[in-house]
Amino acid sequence: MTGNQFHLGIDVGGTFTDAVLICEETGRIDTAKVPSTPADPSIGFMAAVERVLEGRAVDPGTISRLVHGTTVATNSLIEGKTPKTAFVTTEGFGDMLEIARQVRPSLYDVHFEKSRPLVPRDLCYEVPERLDAEGGVLKPLDEDAVREIAAALRARAVRSVAVCLLHGYANPVHEARVAEILREEDSDLLISLSSTVCPEFREYFRASTCVINACIVPVVARYLAGIEAGLKRAGLQAELLVMQSNGGVLTAAQAASKPVFMVESGPAAGVVSANFIAGQLGHTDLISFDMGGTTAKAGAVLDGRPRVTKEYEVGAQAQPGQGMTRASGYPIRTPVIDLVEVGAGGGSRAWVDPGGGLRVGPRSAGADPGPICYGRGGTEPTITDANLVLGRLNPDYFLGGEMELDVDAATAGIRERCAEPLGLAPIEAANGIIEIANATMVNALRLVTVRRGNDPRELTMVAFGGAGPLHANRLCMEMQIPVLVIPPSPGTASALGLLVTDLRHEFSRTRVTAAGAADPGQIRSLFEVMENEGRRTLRREGVAAADMAFRRGIEMRYAGQSSEVPVALPREGADDGTDARALVGAVCRFHGEHERIYGRGYPEEPVELVNFTVTAIGRIARPRLSKIGANGEGVSDALRGTRRVFFADAAGFVETAIYDRARLRAGHHVAGPAIIEEVDSTTLLHEGYRAGVDESGNLLISPGRAP
Amino acid sequence: MPQPESRTVTTASAVSAMDPVLFEVIRNALVEATEEMSVTLQRTAYSTNIKTRLDYSCAFVDAEGRMIAQAFCQPAHLVTIGRLVPRAVAEYADEHRGATLGPGDALLVNDPHRQASHLNDVFLISPFFHDGDLVGYVANCCHHVDVGGGAPASIGAFREIYQEGIILPVVKLFDDGDLVDDVLKLMLANVRAKKEVAGDLRAQHAANEIGLRRLSTLWERYGTEMLGSYMDRMIEYSERRLRAELAELPRGEFAAEGCLDDDGITGEPVRLKVRIRFDGSTARFDFTGTDAQRAAPMNCNLTQCFTACVYVLKCLVDPDIPLNEGFYRPIEVIAPEGSAVNVRPPAGVVGGWEVAMRLCDIMFRALADPLPKRVPAGTKGMICHVGFGGEDPATGEYYCFLETLAGGYGGRHDADGPDAVQTHIQNTQNAPVEETELNYPVRIHEYSLVPDSEGAGRWRGGLALCREYEFVGHEPMFTTLADRARFPARGLYGGDAGKVASYMLISGGAARDLGSKATVQLTAGDRVRIETAGGGGFGPARERDPEAVLRDVREGKVSRARAREAYGVAIEPGEWAVDLAETGRLRRSAGR
Repeated sequence: MTGNQFHLGIDVGGTFTDAVLICEETGRIDTAKVPSTPADPSIGFMAAVERVLEGRAVDPGTISRLVHGTTVATNSLIEGKTPKTAFVTTEGFGDMLEIARQVRPSLYDVHFEKSRPLVPRDLCYEVPERLDAEGGVLKPLDEDAVREIAAALRARAVRSVAVCLLHGYANPVHEARVAEILREEDSDLLISLSSTVCPEFREYFRASTCVINACIVPVVARYLAGIEAGLKRAGLQAELLVMQSNGGVLTAAQAASKPVFMVESGPAAGVVSANFIAGQLGHTDLISFDMGGTTAKAGAVLDGRPRVTKEYEVGAQAQPGQGMTRASGYPIRTPVIDLVEVGAGGGSRAWVDPGGGLRVGPRSAGADPGPICYGRGGTEPTITDANLVLGRLNPDYFLGGEMELDVDAATAGIRERCAEPLGLAPIEAANGIIEIANATMVNALRLVTVRRGNDPRELTMVAFGGAGPLHANRLCMEMQIPVLVIPPSPGTASALGLLVTDLRHEFSRTRVTAAGAADPGQIRSLFEVMENEGRRTLRREGVAAADMAFRRGIEMRYAGQSSEVPVALPREGADDGTDARALVGAVCRFHGEHERIYGRGYPEEPVELVNFTVTAIGRIARPRLSKIGANGEGVSDALRGTRRVFFADAAGFVETAIYDRARLRAGHHVAGPAIIEEVDSTTLLHEGYRAGVDESGNLLISPGRAP
Repeated sequence: MPQPESRTVTTASAVSAMDPVLFEVIRNALVEATEEMSVTLQRTAYSTNIKTRLDYSCAFVDAEGRMIAQAFCQPAHLVTIGRLVPRAVAEYADEHRGATLGPGDALLVNDPHRQASHLNDVFLISPFFHDGDLVGYVANCCHHVDVGGGAPASIGAFREIYQEGIILPVVKLFDDGDLVDDVLKLMLANVRAKKEVAGDLRAQHAANEIGLRRLSTLWERYGTEMLGSYMDRMIEYSERRLRAELAELPRGEFAAEGCLDDDGITGEPVRLKVRIRFDGSTARFDFTGTDAQRAAPMNCNLTQCFTACVYVLKCLVDPDIPLNEGFYRPIEVIAPEGSAVNVRPPAGVVGGWEVAMRLCDIMFRALADPLPKRVPAGTKGMICHVGFGGEDPATGEYYCFLETLAGGYGGRHDADGPDAVQTHIQNTQNAPVEETELNYPVRIHEYSLVPDSEGAGRWRGGLALCREYEFVGHEPMFTTLADRARFPARGLYGGDAGKVASYMLISGGAARDLGSKATVQLTAGDRVRIETAGGGGFGPARERDPEAVLRDVREGKVSRARAREAYGVAIEPGEWAVDLAETGRLRRSAGR
């Protein structure tokens, strides 16, 4: 093994910690899965590192790249395990976090609660000062008052503080001065400024973003420092990179100062992975579908770029059928890969409601006790139980045979809890559970496709997660998605995303300007300021100038609207995208985008430019994956036998061929109905579909018959 | 999920005739279509009221006018859409000698005396055709920031509806896909915020088009016959579940009454009375004894009254029951015509939602005795409209702004009332201060909780909030249409009432109480400071956990003095600890 360099990705999830190791020279991939250790996630992290390195006897010194995805930031918030944090704002507005949006998260519920502010009211401080909407100073900053606040913070042993002053997005002068004074008074204080973290208008959302950053800074900094120390002890020299919510990576040092950018680090990796896998096949427009134990997540990638949103709530409840007035979590306004998450995972429970309706999720049996068939004390039927009863899962080959599944118990549970109350046979009820779960997932897929104006008939689906390949074929049928890709080792495919992305930093500035009156020169210098900031950051991260790229964009709206539509500014040759003609072109594209998303464009209406954005990218070379090649054997070599599997379209059980994925070779074709089993997942292939195996070991599923 | 045996058995036979799976799939798909309308409407709207505060709703109604599916938004609007659509369509046909609607048509209506709500709520109804047959309607309702009338934002207090703004009977805004320019021109000529109103109307149309598009896919897939039969099932399902819940509610008649501060014209309070009867399968809401309607704005129509009843009942039962026509069937409302809860023309109605909101508070109080664990104590209990408009000194254009302020919720049997939140039929968001200042010539000096405004209780009420405006460089008209300046949110089971609201004009160094309903001409530099109402407490204040009182004091929500007087809790001077001995003494002496 000497001489080879390796890339290592570690994805810490709620239940499992996954490791993926790629050999730079051969492209061979190895994976490992260990239980997560929520009390101190770095223990699970190191265990996964050791497990995957041991598996191949790799010398830790040969790891040339190390990327981490984690939900530790989000979890610490949701579990309320953040250290004492304070909030400083303009006099008169100290209750910003308490009042929040002044709405209820559920309409017809007298027992509702507003989400508890992350900073208690007695740690919210007001400082006399005031800017106007243009950033002009109406009232100068009262510096003595800031010093008094500093003294109070010291007295209360506050370690981290968020500063968000009214109209601070338009002019950071007062926030910057507050930071200087606080630092003079206490050099150890961790300070998050809204004008640095998220310089966009609408104070509550900016403040919320900044406060979340301040709350998790100490946690994430300590966590990453612990991991870096552990890695050093284990002999790994490579710099630790961290996946952000937007799908890019950044250095651990950057992540530790702006952790709000990594709250959805783990799920983002899945979409990046899907994008990479499809990209290898030449597909640039796709849906990423990740179904695990508790939820299913759908995301869209268009033109090779994952869709990113700035409307995200940390800790919001995932509820199908619930609309926008969620307000059940804490909003952030940093870019997050746009994922729709629904409560339909393998462990989601099925139940009969008092009106006699069969329902599935969003509650989950989790990993413990888990589905009934695990035999660990679970008593409520789940999606996994239904799949087992329908013959889709192999009771003797779950997790490669590590766990035996109890079919009889699953059948009895479904009979008692679902079938009998509805007057159905257990098989009918099990099929119903699957159909309803599929319908919920179809709704999620609709949200990321048709609702965003994307036609699913032009997309490819990449499905992964332990349960994804069992359901994906049916979902593609429903959505008329023509091509389905199941990557090898779907259970750990998400972690691959960590190793196939770039360094990425997002910058934005709010300058509300009428499109007709915009000054290209001013816009250009605004972009240049942000690009210079990006260039400095990338340089600090060791990126060579030749590997840097900058993308400019303007978020626009019709003058009078409040929701902006992002429009990219292309950069061709010497054109810097901000001359008058380029602006006209961008406004034209805005009309088109508005029509695509909302069904109508209004070219005669005046347009406003609102936020100017720059994405700074430091390119990282992608690994080449190894090929599996052909071995001359026919597909029958991979045939394991047959089993009776229930198919709704056949209205009954069908004797179905079972294949061993490990023995499928490039060029093989399998015709549905069929089941393809591997250690961490099971692929269900329907009648009328066929699966081809490509050189990378992907299953490519499309409508068609056996050749 | 254990359920009583009898219930499970009775439902089994009813369900067996249909495919429970398809039922769930179709139900979700219909709701999803309305959610998609909702997103489109919000994102494409122009007024702060729609795009930021979400004062709108979307729904799908079948060909017979039955409410089938609705998006999560404002409870107030949703019942109205179901009541209004069949009536509006029928009237349009009557008035046009039986003329029927065609694809691409859209009807515009806001007439409260035809069972719309108040004039600001403008409804757009688009028929949905499949294979040439009418199979339903998509409709949405938006609270427009201005519809003309005597005060900016159209929420002034007047005697007649003619003074409240432009009345739109049922008229076509779109005919065979084309905008009816004359109607739009007429409407825009009558309103102040022309850009916002025009933009919001465009957004309403875009939302309906998206809804129609989505429904078409669904109908192509399943066909009219199958969907029709499943929609019947959905209605039966909701009705069945509601009746099953009604069978378990305590039977009997439960009454309460309450008063609005005044009617907006005279200083006379408006008395509202309700008797609620549960008989095991129906719920009857009888408002006999409520004051006669006034020549004033504080009247609601029958639809708004019905909306309040649906809202309250929905809160009492399993929140999971879908709200559609079937939910309305077991509900009977008796509201004497010509009373403040079933108004006749030409009385004003702009305060109709204020009336309906207070009805909710009163109905919950009526039910506190039989259902103590399912109701909150009195809440802010008002919509609390604030509107202003005038010539923007920066642009010379007429601008108009409307928002509604939150207040305290009532304490519950096992929880405090949340602070500063919208209540009951209203769930509109606040307008960000930065966005407001960026777009309008106003400066907001304070937006805060009002300490000591809670109704004390074992579970305290929520705190009120305060918003202070200053008008810069121009002389706008300012209006409040609100309440609770005289009659506070009441407590339950020995809990105290919340603090009443106040509406103060600060001009030239002097403060003047405006009362809860006022339209005033301001001068540049004037300020208006509004403090809304706190929620009522639940249970005796002296039974409140002293540690909870300490937390409130520490957080500055309750003062030390009030902790002592209202709760009998003494806090150690200079320390954050309860003085147990003194607290015991205080509470014992109060007990005697």
